[in-house]
Amino acid sequence: MTLLGPSGCGKTTLLRLIAGLATPDEGHVSIAGVDVTRTPPHKRNVGVVFQNYALFPHLNVGGNVGFGLSGKGLAKATIAAKVGRALELVQMGKFRDRPVTALSGGQQQRVALARALAVEPSVLLFDEALSALDRNLRETMQVELRRLLKDIGATAIFVTHDQDEALTMSDKIAVMNAGQIEQFADPLSVYAQPKTLFTMRFVGLSSEMRGTVVARGLGQVRVETPVGAVMAQGDQPVGCSVVVATRPEHVRIGGVEAIEDNCAEGQIRQITFHGSRTRLSVDVVGAEFVVEMGGVNALPSAGQAVVLRWPAACSFAYADSSVAA
Amino acid sequence: MSAVVSDRYGLLARVRCHDLLARVRSRRVGLTLAAPALFVLIFLYAAPLAHLLAGSFRGPAGFTLDAYGRVLADAYGRSLVWNSLRLGLITTGLTLVVGYPAAFGLAMSRGVLRSLFLASLFLPLAASVIAKAFAWTILLRSHGVVNDTLIFLHLTDKPIRMIFTQTSLIVGAANIFLPFMILPIYAVVAQIDPRLTEAAATLGSSPARAFLRVVLPLSTPGVIAGVALVFSLSVSAYVVPNLLMGENYPTLATTIAKAFLLIRDPALGAAAGAILMAIGLAVVVVSNRLSEQGGSTK
Amino acid sequence: MTGALARIVAIAFMAGASLFLLAPLLVIAAASFSPTPVFDLPIGGASLRWYGAVGSLDGFWPALTLSLEIALVSTAISLALGTLTGIAIVRGLIPGASILAAALASPLMMPGLVLGIALLQFFRGFGLTQVFPALLMAHVVVTLPYVARTMIAGLSRFDFTLIDAARTLGCSFPASIFRVMAPALAPAYLTSGLFAFLASMDNYPVSIFLTDARMKTLPIKMLQYIEESPDPSIAALSTLILLATLALLFAADRVVGLHRLAGLSE
Repeated sequence: MTLLGPSGCGKTTLLRLIAGLATPDEGHVSIAGVDVTRTPPHKRNVGVVFQNYALFPHLNVGGNVGFGLSGKGLAKATIAAKVGRALELVQMGKFRDRPVTALSGGQQQRVALARALAVEPSVLLFDEALSALDRNLRETMQVELRRLLKDIGATAIFVTHDQDEALTMSDKIAVMNAGQIEQFADPLSVYAQPKTLFTMRFVGLSSEMRGTVVARGLGQVRVETPVGAVMAQGDQPVGCSVVVATRPEHVRIGGVEAIEDNCAEGQIRQITFHGSRTRLSVDVVGAEFVVEMGGVNALPSAGQAVVLRWPAACSFAYADSSVAA
Repeated sequence: MSAVVSDRYGLLARVRCHDLLARVRSRRVGLTLAAPALFVLIFLYAAPLAHLLAGSFRGPAGFTLDAYGRVLADAYGRSLVWNSLRLGLITTGLTLVVGYPAAFGLAMSRGVLRSLFLASLFLPLAASVIAKAFAWTILLRSHGVVNDTLIFLHLTDKPIRMIFTQTSLIVGAANIFLPFMILPIYAVVAQIDPRLTEAAATLGSSPARAFLRVVLPLSTPGVIAGVALVFSLSVSAYVVPNLLMGENYPTLATTIAKAFLLIRDPALGAAAGAILMAIGLAVVVVSNRLSEQGGSTK
Repeated sequence: MTGALARIVAIAFMAGASLFLLAPLLVIAAASFSPTPVFDLPIGGASLRWYGAVGSLDGFWPALTLSLEIALVSTAISLALGTLTGIAIVRGLIPGASILAAALASPLMMPGLVLGIALLQFFRGFGLTQVFPALLMAHVVVTLPYVARTMIAGLSRFDFTLIDAARTLGCSFPASIFRVMAPALAPAYLTSGLFAFLASMDNYPVSIFLTDARMKTLPIKMLQYIEESPDPSIAALSTLILLATLALLFAADRVVGLHRLAGLSE
């Protein structure tokens, strides 16, 4: 599961509350049905992988990984075996006797992971653990981590501000904003069916138009916008000021007209190339549209006048809180 | 084709040459930069000390351990060594016991309180040790502040004789050398990453165990530095024993000063000095070895 | 022992240590106001006469001047030497850099008394009997460890690519050192300069052997006053020094922050 949100939204605080490194003023924390609000962190059996790894500099790799195991009355051989297993899981078996200060960032991150895994925690918490790695390494680790966690069947909670990372790695995402959870759902739902404007904006790109609801029914509203009447998913009352948002991959340029489509006329301002997709900025009346097209064939050029079409089912209306009621 | 090949080798050769030159040049630059300090270290520090050491072996007939014999052979000489070591050990022990938790208290404090604490550590460094030692004689007199307070608190009936006792010596020495124990430990402790104790907690260590297994080992370099500094300062202290005990506590240091300044017995002074220097060297070597063993930091 | 209790205990220890350390200073300050020529407590009333008498202490001004000169010049020399050597060590430009760093710090642990006689005999062997040069060289040895230690710590935190940036913007190598590195290292200079200066001003064991009857430094004079005729003028003198240091510390706190003074000194 991932806690996703911008800096300062409270995701790290929430993580620390789960770990027991912070105590709530109100409310309680339960793990597997047990109330642990009053339990100190060293009794919660929650593993944490910190952003800066927090490896103990005075111990080598083996010493770090075995830290949580010593002092529990286990035999030395048992500890050694568990350390070995944890290191093998992260493919760091050969580094057992190395000092931690001699390791690269990616290696340190694996040791931090092995250390948290060695005590077999019920929950694993990752506090922006991949943010310090470079891009290639980060993407590799994302895939590896997901596979590893599935293999050992652990519950993991990631904290990140990177929406791509969240979409890749999670079974469920909690989008957070200013201390509130805006939506808690699987990645597809969060992306394709965002419940709030914040979620729409934070998880992916969107084109937005402002307008007023003039009619409503069947889960859709008709909104009067500067480009004309637009249909969108929503149930706001008539007269409500709304923002209509649409994901760029659903917008077509030109093409066949269909009854249930919205349309708008505009002019292409800028075209940017993103490898497998091309992104276009289109100026329409009172708004700027972002359109994504696949492939490199039949690309329009900047300055061209175009007609944009998209299905009403792909537009979402959200109450506009910036307009006084 | 061959022109391209030879040109490529030429380029490689030039690059390699330049690399070599760069390394040699940087070494020369380094030596130039370090030369003045090296000069000071060798000619104004190592050489005079070596000369002193050599002089302690010199007698009318050449190499001799005579001077050492004079100091170590008789009981009086040995008492000098023992007094010095004793002063050093007790002062170091006392300042460590008080200074270690105090360093943590300093690291945990913030704002005005921390500034006040730091000022209380720095200010005594500016006061002359002579003035401070004399102040302690005032405090510890039979009708001085300490005795008056003890009587006021009904902890004793009549004034306790504290001046010119070894207690006053220890108290005065501990007072003067305490900042030299607290500051090095603080400098190390203040840099310990607080997330390390959090990590230990998430791995199942209670706060006490986290302290023993994470913070204590990491504080060791500071402890070594503080112990080495205080020990060498107190072993060789001259002003403090002189003012607080007079002639009643002869140490190697007081003997050296007397030998050179009063009774003009340079051989005795040199021998005592060599022994003191040997203690100093031992402290340097041992503390270096210990802090290297302590593990890779920085 | 829970975290909160441990915290209270630790701070209590530091508070106790603070009081313990300040006690003699308070005694000195209090005794300096005594109306009688006895350096003792309690004092009968309050008088500033001893502050006035400081200036007329026998041999005071020459001793103060000598101490100040030696302290300032030796500190300046040590700052320069310490910076240069620090660069060489931190950049790894010389082999055995760590050994050199340890050697530079070792005079702190060598008994000052031993260094004093060693230098006395050494200088005499070369025929050097003049007080000022001998004292100056000895005080460079005394102050250099403080400076070297702090400068190495400060330099290892300095980003040397700033020098590269300055050079691409038109500064020569020496100019970029002055305009870029010196300002960044100002806290380190302040700290090490302060410690070195105080160490030199208060130094007794090394100085006692290298001074003679005519030229004495301030600490030596003070011990002489105490042994011969201890009156509160010494207390007044010490209090004045303390006040000057207090002002210096206050200024240092404004510029650098006292906690960085303590952290950088190691």
